[in-house]
Amino acid sequence: MNSAEHEVEFATGARAFARALWGLNLHISPLPASTPSTRARFLGSHLWLHSTLPPSESADLGDVQLAAAAHVAAHLRFSGAPFLPRGLKSIQVAIISLLEDARVERLACQSYPGLSRLWTPFFQSPPPRARTSASLLARLAHSLHTGTNDPDAWVNEARERFLARDAALCDPNFVRELGGRLGNELGQMRLPFDARDYVVTPAYRDDHFGLWQLEIESTAQGAELELKSNESRAAEADNPASRNRSSSSPDANGTASAFAVPTRAEPEYADLPALPYSEWDYVIARERAAFCMLREQPTPKSDPARLDASLRSYAGTRRRLLRAASRLAAEQRVHQRRLTGGPRLDLRAAIATSLSPIVSQTGAPRVYGRTHFRREPPALLVLLDCSESLNVVPRGSPWSALELARQASALLGSTLNAVSRDWALHGFNSNGRKDVGYFRFKDFGEPYDEHARARLAGMQARLSTRLGTALRHAGQALHARRAARKVLLVVTDGEPSDIDVHDPDYLGFDARHATRENRMRGVTSFCIGLDSGAESRICTVFGSHHFLLLDRLERLPEQLSRLSLRFSD
Amino acid sequence: MNASLLDALRVHDEPYYVPVAGEVGLFEAAYATRLPVMLKGPTGCGKTRFVEHMAWRLNRPLITIACNEELSASDLLGQYLLEDGNTRWQDGPLTLAARFGAICYLDEVVEARQDTLVVIHPLTDDRRLLSLPARSEAFRVHPDFLLVVSHNPGYQSALKDLKPSTKQRFGAIDFGYPERQIEIEILIHETELERSLAERLVSIAEATRRLKGHELDEGVSTRMLVHAGALIGKGIAVEAACQMALVCPLTDDPELAQALQACVRACL
Repeated sequence: MNSAEHEVEFATGARAFARALWGLNLHISPLPASTPSTRARFLGSHLWLHSTLPPSESADLGDVQLAAAAHVAAHLRFSGAPFLPRGLKSIQVAIISLLEDARVERLACQSYPGLSRLWTPFFQSPPPRARTSASLLARLAHSLHTGTNDPDAWVNEARERFLARDAALCDPNFVRELGGRLGNELGQMRLPFDARDYVVTPAYRDDHFGLWQLEIESTAQGAELELKSNESRAAEADNPASRNRSSSSPDANGTASAFAVPTRAEPEYADLPALPYSEWDYVIARERAAFCMLREQPTPKSDPARLDASLRSYAGTRRRLLRAASRLAAEQRVHQRRLTGGPRLDLRAAIATSLSPIVSQTGAPRVYGRTHFRREPPALLVLLDCSESLNVVPRGSPWSALELARQASALLGSTLNAVSRDWALHGFNSNGRKDVGYFRFKDFGEPYDEHARARLAGMQARLSTRLGTALRHAGQALHARRAARKVLLVVTDGEPSDIDVHDPDYLGFDARHATRENRMRGVTSFCIGLDSGAESRICTVFGSHHFLLLDRLERLPEQLSRLSLRFSD
Repeated sequence: MNASLLDALRVHDEPYYVPVAGEVGLFEAAYATRLPVMLKGPTGCGKTRFVEHMAWRLNRPLITIACNEELSASDLLGQYLLEDGNTRWQDGPLTLAARFGAICYLDEVVEARQDTLVVIHPLTDDRRLLSLPARSEAFRVHPDFLLVVSHNPGYQSALKDLKPSTKQRFGAIDFGYPERQIEIEILIHETELERSLAERLVSIAEATRRLKGHELDEGVSTRMLVHAGALIGKGIAVEAACQMALVCPLTDDPELAQALQACVRACL
């Protein structure tokens, strides 16, 4: 399993658990092997969990992950802003964090009393009795959770003082104040405390990194984790995407319109035949005939070995998808009636025949039926938005959206090819209304072979998103298919845009119009939205119940194939 | 014979139903004008119970048809049968309801093929006419007849939507899962659970519903809660009942099942 699949499939239960408890959308990754931390870590909504446990831990990995996810979810739900460590000693930071753990867990248990049972097994072994700072902290954590007395007077008193503030449980400031005092008292006992050796107990709790507003660059292990998310953020910031709207200006006729001046006069493939398409202008409530020019452009090829390698890394997902595909094929029964021969009597036809003297006297009676299994998938066209916005690297992901789209396409090809589906994979981008590019990576009826894979491997993401024109062209391609159902599955970030349009609503309304035109021709459209914040925009274009938003882009490969199979049901 | 059959289809005891958003008044008004009604909402939220309740309230027989892809027009309208060398016409459930003034309820109507559903068109406009081509017969439907259909508009059924020409014949009522307090009352009524336990079961359902559209297609429905409550009433331990009625039916994924079990334990 490679890192991409690992991250996609990693700790799905823990993620679901956090969402179920408080509707939190956690981004969960495995703790990097190089990280010295032996505990889970969170920063904002990003959580790093163990992918394996040290041999010293006897607990089940799944249980630890669920307990850790619930604990971190409790922090996110109840902890508020990170504490400022200024002026605190390391022992005070450790105690305040420990009390904060206890505080959020108690609050969590008020909503979900059974959470306590989830965490209790980790407190079963008694903490060490040595009178060291680390031991006393472990004993305090144990005593706070179990409510049991400890032989040490400081531990008991700390617990009593914490419980006495039960009414103030919602206020994180009290743990800071109490923790500060307790830390001073521990300091007066002359018990040394080494923050570098300190390990939070029990095993499911995080290392408190996310509770504090730290100068993280100065912490070696923190820097490593933070670096990853910083890189992603930088990548997002560096990619201007396709939202390049120039300022408002009148069009060539001087009328008020949604258009700005195009930046390039000559289309890139001007020598290729251009297909004119109309565009809906919602301002004047009518179509502008032959307003856009679309060219089917050659698709650059690249080495398909890369794709094949990424497909190998999705082996587990691929096996599951293939199983689903073969099950689907087996489920598609076809009943044939009124046959002249067959394995069973078609009762209705037999009765009708006996009632009709004309039929019964002429020729062989058609009174038999047969049930057999047949694949009758819809004609499926997957249309990829190949605009600049696909170059964005999602936060925490090793892959750009473009690479994920390539992997998704390869997985789709492998899944659908195994059951010989009549399907196509096309893409589009645009550079103004006169230069809409359309690419056929794999067309209907073509085999999904090394040529198709080479075209997929060479997929590029650039320019803008004139969605409506592409929808119309794809709709035409589907309309020509002879299939009972025709499905257009669009993968986009949901924000149509182009360099010559400044009205943010204009292209969205045109795309909605194109979707309606397609529907009138028997083509059903469905969208996989790559931007989970684009619900209203995508809903406008495709209609309610006709889109699925991905909250994690890494799920695109599996979701694309799953949806395609679902539509074949 | 048909009269006695229809009497058997009458709902004699009041089906328990707690109104949530004025739907009883809406349905009564629709019935008064014989406007066909479409009930939309997730599975297990009480659509079928609502129809039973309304049939009882309006004192009309109720004929329910579970739609599927194999449902043909003759399954709805009727067919000739062979009997002692002769033929006998047997009214289908829709014809029966239209002839004698019952409420005909097509459950999960989008599962039926579109060409099958065309037979309801003349029934559902001001003609209120039912035609039986096999018998060369057409008749005006009984004045008390009403057609009710239901479906679950999720993205799973995006390709199985009704034709606009079918949709526009209906008035529609949107259903969702009841509010927490109402759902608790329903659960207590249906299963005689203690209130505190009913509250905890509803909390489980609320938690799983947050996973809809993410890890799950649908969360735990009111119907599933009633199943769990019924098992508990039969002496099954609460966690085991929840495992059987709530967790196992929702997912086959072991990791997700473990998370759902943790949800159950967290709420209990």
